[in-house]
Amino acid sequence: MSHPAVEPAPTEPGWSDYGTLAFTYFAVGVTVSVAMIDAGISVGTTLIAALVVYSATSELAFLAVRAAEGSALIGILSGWLVASRFGLLAISLGTRFGGSRPHRAAASINSFDPNVALAMHQPEPNRLRTVFWKVTAALMVGWWVGSIVGVALGNVIGDGAAWGLDAVFPATLLAIIGSALRARDGLTAALAGGAICLMLVPVAPAGAPILASALGAAVAVTLSRNRGPGMSSTPMGRRS
Amino acid sequence: MSWWVILALAAGVSGQRLAGMFWAGPFLTRRPALARLGDLLPMAVIAGVIAQLCFASSSTSTGLTVDARAVGLAVAGVAVWRRAPLIVVVVAAAAATALVRAVG
Repeated sequence: MSHPAVEPAPTEPGWSDYGTLAFTYFAVGVTVSVAMIDAGISVGTTLIAALVVYSATSELAFLAVRAAEGSALIGILSGWLVASRFGLLAISLGTRFGGSRPHRAAASINSFDPNVALAMHQPEPNRLRTVFWKVTAALMVGWWVGSIVGVALGNVIGDGAAWGLDAVFPATLLAIIGSALRARDGLTAALAGGAICLMLVPVAPAGAPILASALGAAVAVTLSRNRGPGMSSTPMGRRS
Repeated sequence: MSWWVILALAAGVSGQRLAGMFWAGPFLTRRPALARLGDLLPMAVIAGVIAQLCFASSSTSTGLTVDARAVGLAVAGVAVWRRAPLIVVVVAAAAATALVRAVG
């Protein structure tokens, strides 16, 4: 498998991609709602949290701490820590999103993994913003239908793991960064980020390993610089 | 989960997102040496999320496990490498994971 210095021209998601992204967030929404209801939280609170907290991993992290008899304060700190990845994704978006302040504020609040990664594949600012909001719309449809189905029906499908549903989100994430993995810098950043995370999972509190995985981007930039400017690649396909 | 917990979680999550967009992002952009970090951050962070989801024993415990999730990830990796559409990647990964669990 060779890695060309410049990846092929970026392609935009098609209808089946938007449908699959919606399904992925449907699965996430159902998972969170079922976990909240199982934890004895009311239907109303579950839906309000889905709207206001707006971070499935933060809700799950809080529940996990409370289930382990941890205090509410530790649960909140844990929820903040696992949400740090959305802050990092918003940093990425903030380097090239442009637009008015309200537009940028709305975009940052809606920063999730798929919409930021797919938008940042687009070299052209207008296309970047369009792809961001189209992906966001697909994620929201899936997330809301999933959250409501989760509270309405509860755990009707039984153990989702038996259906391989827990493989849906990581597979989607891998596909989303797939085209960037074909460029050397993107592959380096991903391998370094994944390795850093795995090294820290056994020793660090939940959320910290993913926060530290951001250093993988610094590793890629440093290695790329050591190869000299003539060798630097443009993994996101940015054209000047 | 009381209302103040929801508000505290929301404030921390939204605050980090707004700080990234309005403070850290422009901070990187003003420094050419750091600007490329912005493009590479999603790759590194998402790879970390994938690693956590596929190899951590659970969302709370601190251990690593190789199980059916790793098989699903490997199948997804092959599908992505072959440039399969997203829906094929997702269905193949879920089917492989379910199959390993059914057999094992």
